[in-house]
Amino acid sequence: MGFLNPLLLAGAAAVAVPIIVHLLNRRKFQRVVWGAMRFIKASVDQNQRRMKIEDLILLALRCLILILLALALSRPAMKSSTTDIFGQTKVTGVLLLDNSFSMGVSDGVETRFDKARKAAEQAIDALPAGSATAVLLASDIAQGLIPEPTYDLNLARKAIREAKLSDRASDLAPAIQKAIENLKGRSALRKEIYLVTDGQATGWRQLGDIQKSLEQTKTEIKSHILLVGSKEDRNLGVSGLSVAGGLTPVNRPIRFEVQVTNFGKEEAKNVRVTLAVGSEPSGDEIIVPLLRPGETVGVSLFGKLRTEGFHPVTARIPDDRLLADNKRTVVCRAIREARVLLVDGEPGTEPRDSETFILGHALVPVPALDRESYFIKTTTVTAIELAATRLDDFDAIVLANVADFSETTVKSLEQYLKRGGGLMVFPGAKVNAGFYNDILFARHAMLPAALGAPEGNAEQEEKYATLQTRNYEHPVTALWNNPGAGTLASARFFRTFKLEPAPENQKQVVADAGPARVVLRYASGAPAVMERAWGLGRVFLFSSTADTAWNDLPVRPAFLALVQRVLGSLVQRQDESLNVPVGQEFTRQVSSDLVGRDAQVSGPSQSAATRELRRVELINGVPTLRFAATDSGGAYEATVNDPPAVIRFAAQPDSRESDLTELAVEDKEKLKTSANVYDWSPGVSLRELVEKERVGTEFWLPIALLVLALAAIETWLAQWFSRAK
Amino acid sequence: MDKETIDSLLDPLSVQRAEALGLQARYVVEGYMAGEHKSPYRGFAIEFAQHREYAPGDDTRHIDWKVQARTDRYFIKQYEQETNYVSNILLDGSESMQYGSGRLTKFQYGKALAACLSYLILHQRDAAAVGIFDQTMRDYAPRSNNRATIHTLMQRLAAFQPTGQTNIAGVLHDIARVVRRKGIIMVISDLFDDEEKVLEGIQHLRFAGHEVVLFHTLDPDEFEFPFKGLVEFEGMENIPKILTRPQEIRKSYLREFDAFRTRLREGCEKNHVHYVTVNTAQPLHEMLSGYLAFRLKTTTR
Repeated sequence: MGFLNPLLLAGAAAVAVPIIVHLLNRRKFQRVVWGAMRFIKASVDQNQRRMKIEDLILLALRCLILILLALALSRPAMKSSTTDIFGQTKVTGVLLLDNSFSMGVSDGVETRFDKARKAAEQAIDALPAGSATAVLLASDIAQGLIPEPTYDLNLARKAIREAKLSDRASDLAPAIQKAIENLKGRSALRKEIYLVTDGQATGWRQLGDIQKSLEQTKTEIKSHILLVGSKEDRNLGVSGLSVAGGLTPVNRPIRFEVQVTNFGKEEAKNVRVTLAVGSEPSGDEIIVPLLRPGETVGVSLFGKLRTEGFHPVTARIPDDRLLADNKRTVVCRAIREARVLLVDGEPGTEPRDSETFILGHALVPVPALDRESYFIKTTTVTAIELAATRLDDFDAIVLANVADFSETTVKSLEQYLKRGGGLMVFPGAKVNAGFYNDILFARHAMLPAALGAPEGNAEQEEKYATLQTRNYEHPVTALWNNPGAGTLASARFFRTFKLEPAPENQKQVVADAGPARVVLRYASGAPAVMERAWGLGRVFLFSSTADTAWNDLPVRPAFLALVQRVLGSLVQRQDESLNVPVGQEFTRQVSSDLVGRDAQVSGPSQSAATRELRRVELINGVPTLRFAATDSGGAYEATVNDPPAVIRFAAQPDSRESDLTELAVEDKEKLKTSANVYDWSPGVSLRELVEKERVGTEFWLPIALLVLALAAIETWLAQWFSRAK
Repeated sequence: MDKETIDSLLDPLSVQRAEALGLQARYVVEGYMAGEHKSPYRGFAIEFAQHREYAPGDDTRHIDWKVQARTDRYFIKQYEQETNYVSNILLDGSESMQYGSGRLTKFQYGKALAACLSYLILHQRDAAAVGIFDQTMRDYAPRSNNRATIHTLMQRLAAFQPTGQTNIAGVLHDIARVVRRKGIIMVISDLFDDEEKVLEGIQHLRFAGHEVVLFHTLDPDEFEFPFKGLVEFEGMENIPKILTRPQEIRKSYLREFDAFRTRLREGCEKNHVHYVTVNTAQPLHEMLSGYLAFRLKTTTR
């Protein structure tokens, strides 16, 4: 026997009320000066005893009513009771419906999600009358369709019927945690969690934590896990799509890298991979002859972006039973040209002596005649001319062996980065390391690392450092993971600056500075190239010269690719935000004339009628468009009518979700110790399974009825006793 | 004496109606004024009443010779002697008479009643004496048939303030001893005393040859006992307070009270005493004319 609202038992103190009222009433009376006292006295003598007994009976009844009322409000309950005399105790439940995209696996007739909805409705049907339930969608987050338990079970059914599958991944831990937290504080005798999911192993990757939570609350909250859907051994998915070069010029063939993974347990042969740009019906395609189970194959496909602006690019493989991962879309912004400002710190007397000579050719690797039509345009200035140059005219600036520059230039450089410009820094013999370290690194945190002491000797050729040969982690250098793409290892570095990365807490000093990342390392492990995001821009810092003074990288074939990829990374910096993981908020800076306008945003599967409106707002003084409802994978389009503007962006589903491997049998057994696990199929009657678990009775109802009866008796007795006698 | 007292005590409507009805003695009374007044009432008020056939032993002086001459039969002329009577009006002035739920207390009502009666009696040139008593006779205005006495009577009535306890029986016994001449004794009281003793007193008066009229003056509250809620009853005549819920003992009270009145009425009937229940809620003129009409109907001449 326990009490669900034990605090309300204190209400029994109200038993004092009728006694106090009785005592107070005895002091409150009418006074009558009366002549015919002997008759009153005679009557009172006859009735006194009876009246006293009647008073006592009424007082006792009133006290009893109050005590019972307090008892009923405190909701006494007997958990071990097996009787259902007073009806089944109401359940307060939370229903979790998995809507991650693996629930979209179809058996040819209906998807796992369709089955899950049926199972969820059955679970609600099986609740005793008067129960309440919340409905949450569980993917990698828990979305509340009905966040708090409602007694309107029809509303819950409606919410389930109208629930939509998302392209999110599944991680059931947060959803289960949320359900437990929701129920924990509630005073209900029976609390139940229903989780309807497929048995996908990735959803249970935090199984240990989930089990711990369930185990801790086992006595209080009963959990029922309904596994729907049958085993699926075959699934191919497009697990990656990216622009290989980083630069996306108009009307030039752009290489896209597509990763196709066999998530199934059987070999797949002759998988046709296609690439489509925008709404073009067909594009480049390639056949992957063999994909072994678990294998990921990267293929390169080419596409052209015909016009300037945003283009969705989609890679597809033939449809299988899980549709969501058979295509993947990225959005690229096609640019007409990329303008690069080369700041030469050591122009030399002859053009070929200049610090930026090789760099300039690496950026524009075409004959002199074709330079005009090439999409990268370079302008070379000296360090002195830098102060007079309008930085905003350029997409990227290269500082090559520039000693130092004025404070004004530092300021304009800062503004330039903040607005999204790119900066490439090559040190050299003329560099004023103090200026770089104190001003650019320490004060403004523009550089990802400080320049340490120079190492090595450029005058000899015996001792040199080389670059790493494998395990390239940065997207700029990831290309060289593929041995067919050439090598960086042949370059020799005779003299280098030691790059000393920013301390962990530097970001706090300058809000705009992003974390410093190593792009490329020496074979020794020391960083050779580092970068950091700064404002909306990005800064790359090399550790050696841009010409052959200190190293021979500029004359190696890989230099061209490296420089172009770095430039691509700088130019693309603003467009990184165009591609977000499913579920992450899309945020983009837009032109200031759009402030206050409404953008119509349509998703991948949405018709024009269901477009959502988002207003362009000023956030920290920056006109920004935000859109958080990126639950579906694919291309989104935001349109502003006046002034006309179109922004496209894309959401990519988590490829881990494509892995349909089932929860291991031993894990399932482990889970069964802390929850009831059922393999649900349309024929299973959930009610029978669940009702066996529901024992325990609340007694508030019979007590409340007793109170009502006593109140009626009290009223009648009070009338009867006070009738004229 | 101010006019107001007379107005408040002498209800014009009551007096007007009562005058027409008159207050006659029901039994033989001993008029004390016989032969004492001159014109317009010379000597006895002797009026011819009827003829009766002569029977031996009758005084021959009363034979009507004219009738004998016409019919040759002896008839005796019978006369009726009219006399006046003395009425003693006794008003209970004990504290319990102070109770009044409405406009008037029982005592005020009783005073008005006493005033009207005495006016009526004096107006008929009968004699009235008015006494106010509680345990003993507090104030006694001796008999008088002078109409002007009415002012003195009313002054005395108006001036009296009830205070003490009551002892009706004792007072009645005293009156029976003191008043020698047979007359009418009118008692205006709530009779909250031992009814056995009261009845004994009445019996004493009756044995002395008086006609007794009992005006049992009661407040409507005493008839109905309409109190509700918790009430503390404070006794007027040194009875301890009682705290009770009156509606719960109402029936019992009314039973007791009715029994009390029944005993009184039966006792009065046994002694041929008019027992008149006076409810102070009833207008005085209604009550008085009602009783006088009844009295006129039942009075034997």
